[in-house]
Amino acid sequence: MSENSPLRDVYDAIADPTRRRLIRLLAEADEMPLHELTAQFEMGRTAVSKHLSILKEAGLVRDRKVGRETRFRLHAAPLREIQDWVAFYSKFWSANMSRLSRLLEEEEE
Amino acid sequence: MSLTLSLDFQYTASIEKLWSAITDSGKLAKWVVDIHNGQPMENDFKPVVGHRFQFRTQPSEWWDGIIDGEVLVVEEPDKLSYTWASGAEKHTVTWTLQDLGDGKVNLHLEQVGFTNAQGLEGAKYGWSKWCGELEKVLAL
Repeated sequence: MSENSPLRDVYDAIADPTRRRLIRLLAEADEMPLHELTAQFEMGRTAVSKHLSILKEAGLVRDRKVGRETRFRLHAAPLREIQDWVAFYSKFWSANMSRLSRLLEEEEE
Repeated sequence: MSLTLSLDFQYTASIEKLWSAITDSGKLAKWVVDIHNGQPMENDFKPVVGHRFQFRTQPSEWWDGIIDGEVLVVEEPDKLSYTWASGAEKHTVTWTLQDLGDGKVNLHLEQVGFTNAQGLEGAKYGWSKWCGELEKVLAL
């Protein structure tokens, strides 16, 4: 779980090819400033910045200020989480099946 | 690639009571909660083959909070199976109850589905192409 509750659905965030390419670019680098990312696209920095904001809202991208520039880096955990449904449902059902155990005990009393 | 989740749990209860806990809408609401916020999930489940139901919770960071299902198998009190769809993923959940004697019952859960990348609507999101990319991203 990320510490900040994302404002945007992760599926939404990765629905766009530009944003998927941004993820790929960021996956290959530690950190990238906006101008380096923009250089990879045939669109202006405002447009790229908007896509980065959406990725940020989904918790997929983190940024930090270094001097006058903002550097972006990938935070892949949400992707891992949605990909690995077995791990998710294992947690989901284990927790709930324990709850069921307590419910049945309560009913006995 | 198909994936299976398999879990077993033993309860001290009669098989009928356990059956009721996993098939009665009101009882399900008491133990099936959204693990992210601890809130009970509303449901309109009925153990009737062909019945379509939903489990709902607040939308969260990973999903819209809605599970859509359809009841596939009802063999009281031994076996219950239904589909379990969340987002574009569709799984099958099967519960098998086994009386162990001495007032104990084993509850076996099997959830079968497909890996996320293949389960998603490939055409809509261009996921199928990106599937390999995602694998690479996660491997880094």
